[in-house]
Amino acid sequence: MMSRHAIRLAIVILAFILLPGCAHYTVNDRSQNFDATSGYRFDALDRSELNSDSLFVCLMFSGGGTRAAALSFGIMESLSETVIRVDGQDKRLLDEVDCISSVSGGSFTAAYYGLFRERLFEDFEGGFLERDVQGALAGRLFNPVNWARLASPYFSRIDMAAELYDRDIFDSATFEQLQRNGRPFVILNATNLGVDRRFDFTQEYFDALGSRLDSYPVSRAVAASSAFPFLLTPISLKNYPLAEGYNAPWWYKGAIRPASWTSERYNAAKNLSVYLDKENRYIHLMDGGLSDNIGARSVLNAFDRGFIRTRINEGAIRQLVLIVVNARTQSEDQLSRSEKPPGFFTVAAKAGTVAMDNYSYDSVTKLREALYTRVQTQKNDQACAALMFQQCPKAPEPVVFAADIDPYVIEINFEQASQIPGEKPRYYLDMPTSFTLSKEQVKKLVAIGPKLLKAAPQYQCMIKVLAAEAESKPRPEECPVGAGIFP
Amino acid sequence: MSKEYLVALFPRKRRVLINGQFMGTTNTKLELESGVYEVTLGPPLNFSPEKFEIDLRNTASLMPLMIEFTEAK
Repeated sequence: MMSRHAIRLAIVILAFILLPGCAHYTVNDRSQNFDATSGYRFDALDRSELNSDSLFVCLMFSGGGTRAAALSFGIMESLSETVIRVDGQDKRLLDEVDCISSVSGGSFTAAYYGLFRERLFEDFEGGFLERDVQGALAGRLFNPVNWARLASPYFSRIDMAAELYDRDIFDSATFEQLQRNGRPFVILNATNLGVDRRFDFTQEYFDALGSRLDSYPVSRAVAASSAFPFLLTPISLKNYPLAEGYNAPWWYKGAIRPASWTSERYNAAKNLSVYLDKENRYIHLMDGGLSDNIGARSVLNAFDRGFIRTRINEGAIRQLVLIVVNARTQSEDQLSRSEKPPGFFTVAAKAGTVAMDNYSYDSVTKLREALYTRVQTQKNDQACAALMFQQCPKAPEPVVFAADIDPYVIEINFEQASQIPGEKPRYYLDMPTSFTLSKEQVKKLVAIGPKLLKAAPQYQCMIKVLAAEAESKPRPEECPVGAGIFP
Repeated sequence: MSKEYLVALFPRKRRVLINGQFMGTTNTKLELESGVYEVTLGPPLNFSPEKFEIDLRNTASLMPLMIEFTEAK
């Protein structure tokens, strides 16, 4: 007869053999019927009485762990304390925020606000920013109870991280709650490792996956957005057959033509076609920072062919305000002062960051150029109309846009801390990318955000123009249209 | 990033549909990416032709592609 000890040992061994087979990541649900008017997409979201389309505000929160989450939190506090008057109505600038596109650390702030709104200002600082999230993750990882689950090929460190976020931060909320809350539209960005392209957690992408986003946990989207390579593992999604009645987005139709391969519309269509190809049965997602560490590309897409473009052409947008919260760091250049060439680890670290830093810079430049091109087009049209009126008063008037827009691109970054008395940029630029920062670091990050925002000349212009409009005064001379981009 | 320009002419103000998406109104200038689109108008269906297939390229803001719908009798 077997001893009690032997029986216990057999049970433990059996459990270790069987449990891995049980552990599986949360699978996204299949969609049966396509409905372009519902789901987590911009046009399906309600907006509050205080949110107008005429002042259209999008925020971009970069990656950078808790550093990025704290900086973006400080900006949210500042927006909530800034009172403006639009169409005769007093409101907070925060009430006018229409979309937030976020990456990695910034996704925690974006998703938390999207789900819990004012609670962000009550418990996010203590509940997330000042918390040792990294330690909590390590604690789970080193807990022997979890080892059997981790032995499963379908359950990994990222699933454990997502469970932690789900339980401790996001209260098991799904995208259905984000949808119910209405604007702002929160775009959580990740990277598809299969095709090295950006992926965002919106119903438009999930439509192409034949899947429903409303039942998917927000925590898993945030985990994908912040799945730092090597430390964490990918989040996986299932690519189902298309739902009954699927209709591709309007800009997709006719976009993939060999003659158009140089256009961005073609590139965007190729991106979506990855999911329409049902041979790609699974999608594996990692940190959004691998494909766009600023979150600017999804806003550029909306400007080129999405919800911003339709509203510009409808003439609904008067002021278009894009605020980029960039928590990028930059170590002091010691290499250029040394005769000795950099070693293996320095070169490896640079290889991992140089391309992305340059891409991020280009993304913000692209935003500025796209909006400034519109300003120049409007100015050319106005100049032409004035000249025609002067030279050929009987000529028919040229056809104009439904409305001219007054754009603003406001970038917040640590280098600008040099403009603020008593602040040293180096303190922030040397801060690590981590999900554990000291209370003092968090406090300083939260405090610097509003100062950087208020010091930005583009932001100052926006506030002056809104105030002048509210009082029916002429536009301030120092803020012509375009000064919101290049002051 | 570069944009092209389109004007759908019609005797009345009517919503314009680009590939089935509402996108501004008739007799105003629309700014779009280059490429192939199907352009039609919103209801009522009292216009002709039913739709235009256009290849939007080589336009300028001051020289948009002009397409004209007429009121069907």
